[in-house]
Amino acid sequence: MELKAQPGMAGTGVLQRIGGRLGYATDQQHIPGLLHGAILRSRYAHARLLRVDTTRARSMPGVRAVVTAQDVPGVNRFGIVVRDQPVLCENRVRYEGDAIAAVAADSPEQARAALEVIDVDYAPLPVVADADTAEQMSPLHGESNLVARDTFTRGDSEAAFARCAVIVEHHYQTPRQMHAFMETEGGVAIPDNNGGVVFRVGCQSGHRDAEQLADILGLKSTQVTVEATPTGGAFGGKDEMTIQPVAGILALQTGLPVLVHLDRFESCRAGIKRHPVSVVMTTGCDSQGRILAHRVDALLDTGAYASLGPAVLENFLDHATAPLYRIEAYSVSGRLVYTNNGVSGAFRGFGGNQATFAVESQLDALAEKLTMCPLEFRRINLRTADEPGSRGQPVRWTAPPTDVLAAAAASPLWVPAGAAARRRWLTGTGMAMGAQGNGLGDGLPDSGGGRVSLTAEGRILLEFGFADYGQNLAEAITCLVCEGLGCTASDIDVVLGDSRGPDSGPTSASRSSVLVHGVLANTLPRWKDLVRGQAASLTNLPPEELDCGPGGLFHNSRQILSYQELAEKGQLAPMVVDASQAFPVAPDQDQPVGRYLQLQIATVARVAVDRLTGRVRVTDLHHITAAGRVIYPPGYLGQIEGAAIMGLGMTLTEDMPTREGRYLADNLDQYMIPTIHDAPDQRVDVLDNTPKTDSFPVRGIGELGIEAVAPAICSAIEAATSIRVQRLPVDPGYLLSALCAQEKKRS
Amino acid sequence: MTRNTQPEPCTPETATFELNGDVISHWVSPATTLLDILRDAGRIISARAGCRIGRCGACTVLLNGQAVPGCLVMAWQLSDCRVETVEGLTEDPDFIRVKEALATESALQCGYCTPGIAVSLVSGLRQHRCGEAVDLEEAVAGNLCRCTGYGGLKRAVDALKETSSET
Repeated sequence: MELKAQPGMAGTGVLQRIGGRLGYATDQQHIPGLLHGAILRSRYAHARLLRVDTTRARSMPGVRAVVTAQDVPGVNRFGIVVRDQPVLCENRVRYEGDAIAAVAADSPEQARAALEVIDVDYAPLPVVADADTAEQMSPLHGESNLVARDTFTRGDSEAAFARCAVIVEHHYQTPRQMHAFMETEGGVAIPDNNGGVVFRVGCQSGHRDAEQLADILGLKSTQVTVEATPTGGAFGGKDEMTIQPVAGILALQTGLPVLVHLDRFESCRAGIKRHPVSVVMTTGCDSQGRILAHRVDALLDTGAYASLGPAVLENFLDHATAPLYRIEAYSVSGRLVYTNNGVSGAFRGFGGNQATFAVESQLDALAEKLTMCPLEFRRINLRTADEPGSRGQPVRWTAPPTDVLAAAAASPLWVPAGAAARRRWLTGTGMAMGAQGNGLGDGLPDSGGGRVSLTAEGRILLEFGFADYGQNLAEAITCLVCEGLGCTASDIDVVLGDSRGPDSGPTSASRSSVLVHGVLANTLPRWKDLVRGQAASLTNLPPEELDCGPGGLFHNSRQILSYQELAEKGQLAPMVVDASQAFPVAPDQDQPVGRYLQLQIATVARVAVDRLTGRVRVTDLHHITAAGRVIYPPGYLGQIEGAAIMGLGMTLTEDMPTREGRYLADNLDQYMIPTIHDAPDQRVDVLDNTPKTDSFPVRGIGELGIEAVAPAICSAIEAATSIRVQRLPVDPGYLLSALCAQEKKRS
Repeated sequence: MTRNTQPEPCTPETATFELNGDVISHWVSPATTLLDILRDAGRIISARAGCRIGRCGACTVLLNGQAVPGCLVMAWQLSDCRVETVEGLTEDPDFIRVKEALATESALQCGYCTPGIAVSLVSGLRQHRCGEAVDLEEAVAGNLCRCTGYGGLKRAVDALKETSSET
């Protein structure tokens, strides 16, 4: 069913955003006594630090504090998976964004001027610039530049290859994509009266940041508060801490609030990126088109620090096993290495979309060898909904994969490819499918809490720890609460992303909606009972005859108490219900692997390739999603559309290349993200066959839209030109020369 | 190396201009950007430094009715100019239409870029009313949005086009 655009809720958050009245963390410029922080970054991609002298900087006008590694009160390391990144480098810098010192001053200009006179002596070291040879280079950490390696196997793939009628082997490369959130990393650290610090910062996990910050600042975790809302875009790029540690140290040193806001140049240089992947895939099938064997050898460049790299590797390999397809035997392995090429970490898709690009391209290549329709080739290899997942684990789909494929086959975009000879634009349609799991997966501890209460003013208050970056989570919560209580949106307030509230875990891994639904399914009935009990004691009516409704409590369809009256009169007991929800995992598994809750998408793309320039224009995208119930339709549509255009950028223009460990782009004039003119018309169709008995009918869809875009576009380019692109972003020069070679052959 | 984003020191002068109907005078270096003056002296938060090179559109404001990136206008260019931001447009009929269209079509997510987009659309609608041929989609081509994929914005533009042709 097509998901049509429909009017949004237009709540206060939305209207404040449009009217410029919503203050982001980096808008807090007028707090009394505010100081401005600035960070000295490394001049080299790799060097030993011989001397850091801050004497001159300390005497500069307006300077209140200058800090280096020795001023870090607690642990000078952070990192979500591996704490390997120094807040301020002690004796070695490992990428050109590494922080060496920081200044707090009365004005931003004074802070930057002070950075200029910090004297640093470097002894440059050989740069580990190439992931391919990183393991032979002297290690950046510990014993080796190999951070992690993993292999997933199933059956005897060598024996299976021996039985294949057709085998294809290709090398795929994906770019170092930048999140390019519009609000660059920043926020303010405010000392409180008890030696603690309150952070208002753009981030994705206030609670987890608070724990790490307490260790760094030498404080108790109760002394650190993080307000993570609102954030001006994140996409994984604010999952790891950014400016929080430095801002906290400066705030403690000066006793004053300190604002640190990276400008775009510094954000490009210091911020996290998507892991570039280089992968060789070998896939074989029998003469009927049944895939028998699959081999993967991947290399991921995590840069100077691990960040979430090991988890990205796991998710990449998971997706490289081709979760949607039945494959007799596979051997899927990958390595994650340290280099001096910036830092890569979490990014929407989390390695999965890089793998799906390669897997789906392999399927097209096999189908072509067999002169089989690529859709038919997929159909005979797709799993059924009741089969286990590709790693043998139980999985829960929301629709049979063949239904998703059938809907893609029925797309109106399948009009004949090509164009009359000598026409400028070559057009073609292609498609790809993708699977996306919800949750942190692989047996990692994963749970999240939430709270419902009645405020003294009679508002129904919902609190979750998830950060709000406009992903419409507040609207989805509102819809679910209205449904559960029968109240209206105007009865409800939603507070997100405050570490003083319930800990919901990180706002990542497409996990929020699943946990919100679980928490509400648990809390709302209990809260309703509590409220009915209070109302009953106030009205002397039997509680089972009372019900929540719009504006208040109802008896026989008549309102007997407003929520406000209930709050004023019913102060006998606090009307608060807390709950924590464990993220759903496969039952009866001692060692859970992969992800249990699975979603699917098929993306059909239509492109026009310019014969004069080799440029690709995507004219249409049509997505079919099987991802559970739609809670808030405009939010669902926006997530799929937004992720898809992010995927389009990665496919066509976005890359942050490095040379000798230096990024070659430093702002949005060289790093090209899509504009409105690059964004095609999109259509989203929703397939939802979730069984009525499914206790988790709501799934998280924040990453699904990016999953299959790149291979769908490349498949469409091939339909238009007979040229297959295996390296992203698509190089128009490459396409142009291949087109020229074709013309020459023909003439 | 990052580029030097700071203006060279220069003798400060008074920049006097009209901001959202009020005259403001600010003692600054002539090379200080309008964006910095707005955020600092003007206490305007809707104009935001997304790139500081005129590329992202997050600091778009109206300068004598024309949509411009605030980061590319300098103090010395401001004498006797009229500057409008969304903070000053609350009663403006074009802004009210834009606001309704953006909200109804969910043309925003994080919203950081949205005031700039609203300003660009207001400028487009004003030009349209003055009889100029205006492509509203072109009017926002300089405003980057990373969240939405522009789907809601395209629908908002379509809605504005429809109501514009009616009036």
